[in-house]
Amino acid sequence: MSSEFGVRRKERTPAKKRERIRRGIVLSVLFSIFLLTAQSFHWNLFFDSEPRTPNSELVFFTMAYAVEVPPLKGYVNDYANLMSPAIRTKLTHELKEFERTDSTQIVILTIPSLEGLTIEDYSIQVAEAWKIGQKGRDNGIIFMVANQERKIRIEVGRGLEGRLTDLTAGRIIDLVVKPRFKRGDFNGGFVAGVAALIDATKGEFKTDDANQPKTKKSFPPFFTILLFGGIGLLILGSISRALGGVVGGIGFPVAGYFALGASMLTLILLGILGLLMGIFLPILFSGIGYGRGGIFSPGGGYFGSGGGDSSDFDSGGGFDGGGGDFGGGGASGDW
Amino acid sequence: MKKLLICIAGIFVIISLSGCGYNTMQMNEEAVKAAWGDVEAAYQRRNDLIPNLVEVVKAYAKHEKETLQAVTEARGKVGSIQAGANVVNDPKAFSQFQDAQASMSSALSRLLVVVERYPDLKANQNFRDLQVQLEGTENRINVARTRYNKAVQEFNTSIRIFPNSITNSLLLHLKPKEAFKAEAGAEKAPQVKF
Repeated sequence: MSSEFGVRRKERTPAKKRERIRRGIVLSVLFSIFLLTAQSFHWNLFFDSEPRTPNSELVFFTMAYAVEVPPLKGYVNDYANLMSPAIRTKLTHELKEFERTDSTQIVILTIPSLEGLTIEDYSIQVAEAWKIGQKGRDNGIIFMVANQERKIRIEVGRGLEGRLTDLTAGRIIDLVVKPRFKRGDFNGGFVAGVAALIDATKGEFKTDDANQPKTKKSFPPFFTILLFGGIGLLILGSISRALGGVVGGIGFPVAGYFALGASMLTLILLGILGLLMGIFLPILFSGIGYGRGGIFSPGGGYFGSGGGDSSDFDSGGGFDGGGGDFGGGGASGDW
Repeated sequence: MKKLLICIAGIFVIISLSGCGYNTMQMNEEAVKAAWGDVEAAYQRRNDLIPNLVEVVKAYAKHEKETLQAVTEARGKVGSIQAGANVVNDPKAFSQFQDAQASMSSALSRLLVVVERYPDLKANQNFRDLQVQLEGTENRINVARTRYNKAVQEFNTSIRIFPNSITNSLLLHLKPKEAFKAEAGAEKAPQVKF
């Protein structure tokens, strides 16, 4: 039996065999491309680890009670018009100063009505949308008041839960804010409330190394890619320069996308860099360079369009939260 | 030329391995586990508050033995359940966990209703502090549960949609995870009024 097979195989012409191998390769490449494009439909669902529009993120689960979170205007968002303009300016100044020295972000929100929600449901959605406080430190506080329902809530970021416990927040509401609100003295209530919040959280964080982790984080992976990519390209490029160029041109932006979440521009630059490295690194290192380079691929254009991070460009100079996380800590009250 | 083609094909296969959702599913599973950790922590926090609460109530409301007993028993039941990250993968353990916590919730809310009859207790600063803490904890539980459910939903979707489902059935064999179901009484945190 086996010898029969062996004979048959031998009879096949090498041309036919090569044809079959080629067809197999083409098919597998096509299948890979197919998988990639199928995946790209769900690209945003998976790779956007920080959803930019929390409302759309909430659609799945809290559809029943998702609210239109009011836009974050600044430190004081007085949508219910409870404060006088002078107090608003004073508080804005105070909170800005506090963030400058302590990096803790306190934001005030007043709304006319809760639209049927509990204040806890509303405020956690606001917290998820605004992301008050710095990423990693989670040092944000939202001081929220719903006018019609006469509800007060202090929503405390995870990083401040140790200092500003539920108990402390509850006492600030009960003893500081509530009595003044009851008298109709909203200005006084907000001023005293903010002062108490600042007192409670002062010294928990300092501004000095506020932005350190961010810059630290984005560098090492870049060099790792460069290093390993360079070695890989050196090997591939010494097999064939065209191969090195193609792999560099495609592989670099892909690696850049997955590891860094880099923007479109960076991806294109990475593509060009990869292309050049793939072609010239082997020459640099060995000097062999047998002239064969005919196939060139447009560096990185294909993958770059798959998932460019457009939000890198839209950092308008306005006020925004820094990515602080909230876990539902804080206290509520009414007046 | 042939070598070149083989190499390119190999690279495409490697790239498509990340395109087929292998990493995504792993990532999502880890996210579920992390969210579960928060759920457990929040429930644990509530459990830790119970003894103090029972002590304070006992001092003022001696006649409410039954209600207090129910709370203590529920706490014991919660404590006896083996918790941990593996609960997430075991539907039976998960529903056991959920049942125990639900009976804890209802025992607690009964206690808080009973308390209404004792003005002295309600005026007690110690008790009021506990109420605030309990309220905050219930809210944390709510938030943690919602986030856990969201993570589970994301995970379950990621193992079912098309290219991932193939990878899953061939390589990972991950099973869909249970989410918290809203139930009467447990869905809403007990209203603690001053």
